[in-house]
Amino acid sequence: MAGKFSRRAFLQGTVLGSGALVLGAPAVSAQAQGKTIRCGVVTSLSGDNRFGGNLTRRGYDLWAEEINKLGGVEIAGERYPVEMFYGDAQSRPASGADAAVRLIIQDKVDVLFGPYTSGVTLAVQPISAKYQVPMISGSAESPNVWLPKPPFNFGMIPAVDLTSGKSIKVLAESLGSQAKSAAVIGVDEPFSKETAEGFRNGVQEAGLELKRFELFPANADLTPVISKLKADNPDIVAVGGHESVFINFINTAQSLDYRPKALIMHYGVTSAAFINQLGEEANGVLGVSVWTAGLPYRDDLFGTASDYSELSFTRWGTRPDYTEAACSASGLVLQDAARRLGKAPPWDQQTRVELTKAIEDTDIETFYGPVAFAKEGDHFHNNIKPVPVVVQIKGGNVVPVAPSGASEGELLYPMPGAS
Amino acid sequence: MASNPGEVRGYLFRLAAIAVCLLALAVVPAFVDPYSLRIVTGALMWAGLACAWNIVGGYAGYISFGHSAFFGIGAYTTAILMQSGIGMPFLATLLPSVVVAMIVAAIIGGPTMRLRGAYFAIATWAFAEMLIQLATILDVTGGTAGLSLPAYLNEFFFYYTMLAAAAASFLGVWYLIEYTRFGFRLKALRDHEPAAEAMGIRTNLVKVQAFALSAAITALFGSVFAYWTTYIDPHSVLGPDITDQMVVMVLLGGLGTIWGPALGAVVLWMTNRYIWSTFGDTVVYLPILGLIIAMVVLFLPNGLISLIVGRRRGRELISRILRKL
Amino acid sequence: MDLFLQAIVNGVLIGGILICLTVGFQLTFGVLHVIDFAVGGWVMLGGYAAYWLVALAGIDPFISIFFVFALFALIGRAIGPLIYHVRTSRYARPDLMALAFTFGLFLLMRGGALWLWSYNSRNVESVFSGEFLTVGSVTIPLLRLSAFLMAILISLGVFLLLYRTRFGMAVRAVAQNRDHAGLMGVDVKRVSAYVYGLYTGITASAGVLIATIYSVNPSVGVRYTLFAFFVAVLAGLGSVGGVLIAGLALGLLESLASTYVGSRYSLLIVFGVLFLVLLVAPKGVLGRGI
Repeated sequence: MAGKFSRRAFLQGTVLGSGALVLGAPAVSAQAQGKTIRCGVVTSLSGDNRFGGNLTRRGYDLWAEEINKLGGVEIAGERYPVEMFYGDAQSRPASGADAAVRLIIQDKVDVLFGPYTSGVTLAVQPISAKYQVPMISGSAESPNVWLPKPPFNFGMIPAVDLTSGKSIKVLAESLGSQAKSAAVIGVDEPFSKETAEGFRNGVQEAGLELKRFELFPANADLTPVISKLKADNPDIVAVGGHESVFINFINTAQSLDYRPKALIMHYGVTSAAFINQLGEEANGVLGVSVWTAGLPYRDDLFGTASDYSELSFTRWGTRPDYTEAACSASGLVLQDAARRLGKAPPWDQQTRVELTKAIEDTDIETFYGPVAFAKEGDHFHNNIKPVPVVVQIKGGNVVPVAPSGASEGELLYPMPGAS
Repeated sequence: MASNPGEVRGYLFRLAAIAVCLLALAVVPAFVDPYSLRIVTGALMWAGLACAWNIVGGYAGYISFGHSAFFGIGAYTTAILMQSGIGMPFLATLLPSVVVAMIVAAIIGGPTMRLRGAYFAIATWAFAEMLIQLATILDVTGGTAGLSLPAYLNEFFFYYTMLAAAAASFLGVWYLIEYTRFGFRLKALRDHEPAAEAMGIRTNLVKVQAFALSAAITALFGSVFAYWTTYIDPHSVLGPDITDQMVVMVLLGGLGTIWGPALGAVVLWMTNRYIWSTFGDTVVYLPILGLIIAMVVLFLPNGLISLIVGRRRGRELISRILRKL
Repeated sequence: MDLFLQAIVNGVLIGGILICLTVGFQLTFGVLHVIDFAVGGWVMLGGYAAYWLVALAGIDPFISIFFVFALFALIGRAIGPLIYHVRTSRYARPDLMALAFTFGLFLLMRGGALWLWSYNSRNVESVFSGEFLTVGSVTIPLLRLSAFLMAILISLGVFLLLYRTRFGMAVRAVAQNRDHAGLMGVDVKRVSAYVYGLYTGITASAGVLIATIYSVNPSVGVRYTLFAFFVAVLAGLGSVGGVLIAGLALGLLESLASTYVGSRYSLLIVFGVLFLVLLVAPKGVLGRGI
């Protein structure tokens, strides 16, 4: 074999190999550097987390469209339009890192908007720190994201350990002696598991009897878990997961003739898909949300929370949930920081560090609520201002029911049709 | 090995070609931006992984669907040893990760390599699925939350580390397969297992050796990958898509050839990333990629390498060495 | 005790769906010797077809399942010759090439569905959704029961076709020995293409049932590829009869493991058992062959 290796073959090989290199290394984009703010979005447009990933994109895009209608972000009296660039993280940390480097190096973005999931965020954080590009995350709710104290990353939504536990306590207080026991189940995946653990801690702190704590693999058939819950018959069932798991849970429970007296879930109950798909069955389900359209917040770009909800509904055809809202509010944070910075884009490395400092000092009111980032502790750079509200689905609407300060309606207990 | 002048000349020519390629690869970082360098680094990693899979899939003739298990073992060994409690430096974790993978491969290789064809494929795949579940449940792996490694983002370090690992894998495998007794035994086994056994080759031993070698190389790349991406979780390093890519790359390039897997890996990875970055805001690249794979199988079944070696010769060569089902 | 009975019922009902999911896959392996990666893709597409038929025409999935079967049988019949061509090519390792080909198809389906129909899960409503029967202390979801019966019906149909018709005889002949069957005047290529069409039709029908019970989204297929492989191996690759036992066994194993050991460990147990079964009895519960 060795003897038959010809010069021609060698040349062919070399040409083919270098051709492949050229193919894979597209020339640095020769696009003229206009006076725009270049924003990169790294999020999961495909893969397991495409649902939430596309929601984050909607949120970021809506802000960009709205601000561009006004001519762009106002800095020192001039308006600079926003240009969006996207990198699909494919729900994989490594692809997220590739996407971030591509956006920073080839698209020369001035700022990043963060991924949907915590895993991808953890892989992108070191890259944003290396190139000193600030990254505002409108999602990523795992507390692990803030433990490494990421210098350039900021999170809009309070970590789930701050919200899910608190919500159970709030719920237990409003129910008083009506509820004595609870069961917590959750999907064994990031975020969902932490939500379930938060619920569990809340149950213990509220002094309820914890009848069951069980995790199950993603996509598992829920009949065994629900059969067990039915046998336990706790007063409150708390579920950690995403909206498709909730839909599956409620459908499966219904077909097994089981409906708990109180059913609380975290992310996704307020999403349009949940209410649309379940219709009547969604009635009475409780959720935790850091934002709802009924809250009395407002700002100059989007108006009130309900104005935002209308706008998003007109644009995308579905009601926004708190992830979309937080992503849109990420843009407001950038806008405010850029205004305070007062320097025209494109921003060089030094300016980006100053911008990051400006973001760190954010203290604004938006339609999404107050935004200010923690400067120390386990929730470093996380916006811990928003207060979780317990909401209940009533007639297809999301109604805040607890705590009493934020409530707009009565808490229905037991929920309609409970067995 | 080579006695007549023609063979010696060919051998020298090959060495020269390899030297030129290595030299060309060594100066790549001077000419490309950090993003392109990152993509080329990825190509080197996939080339190395394809080479590792090819040892079992191409030379021993056993189709493994479980190689992501070894990739994950390497990644997790490095990640665990680098956690702050233990705090080993990166290079010191490479040996343990390779050794752990070899031991696991030797243990499961014995019984599974008695299985043939599709049964072996599915057994290894079930093993890989078990490991994902295990990594999800255990505490030492961080469960679903995964593990973060100390971030060291020197793109040159990772480029040259991947280059060294890939070059060592390819040259090592080339030498072992073409010029050692182990290689001859392996090929004899693939061509006709009962005959090889009759000749006095301890086929079980050779198969397990090949499996362990393949696992060791896979784990090596897993280790580097973990340090490179700085964050791992069960699905990112144990997911079945890692194995799938390895298999497709080898098939695309040319099964059971030395350089085919490298070619397949580079072409597939580069095409993948190129389409991915060109259609950055849609997912249309996924069906395009699927279509490309199906088309290659239909129209280029001996792999891309057959374009270089020549169609007829390539077909002869590959069907000669691989006439085993 | 109640919980135990409930767990058994849950397991058996899921087992029925798994049988329907795998029976076509086994047939294809028996005849074409192809391990079809795309099995989950057909499930997913079948689910979407049911969704669109409900959403656009208001046809209940238990009626539309027949349309879906016919539609996908035609599609499979069209693709069949390609698979046959790859599988019988004179190149080295055609089995692997066929595997890679179906892998490409699977990616095409998954990516295409994601691109065309976007990311959200879609619910397929049926008149049986949410209804249930109560027998003693056990609750039986009517939807799952109907799906179970439908799945069993389809599988029985396959058996009748295989053992009571001339076409079935030809299929079995090809499965036993392709060359001999060819010599006996069986048009192997045509039989293979029809078998592939039959397989895609059945698998898409299983997809209709699965989508009605759970929901459908572009990446739902991966899981069912996994389960089809599991049942097929447990049954013995190519053994259609073994699927009946293996499907029920997997359904029961998963249900009992999640009820009594903990859901978290159910998949670990499922794959552990699969691995051990392969080591101990690699030919499956009933041995090989159709």
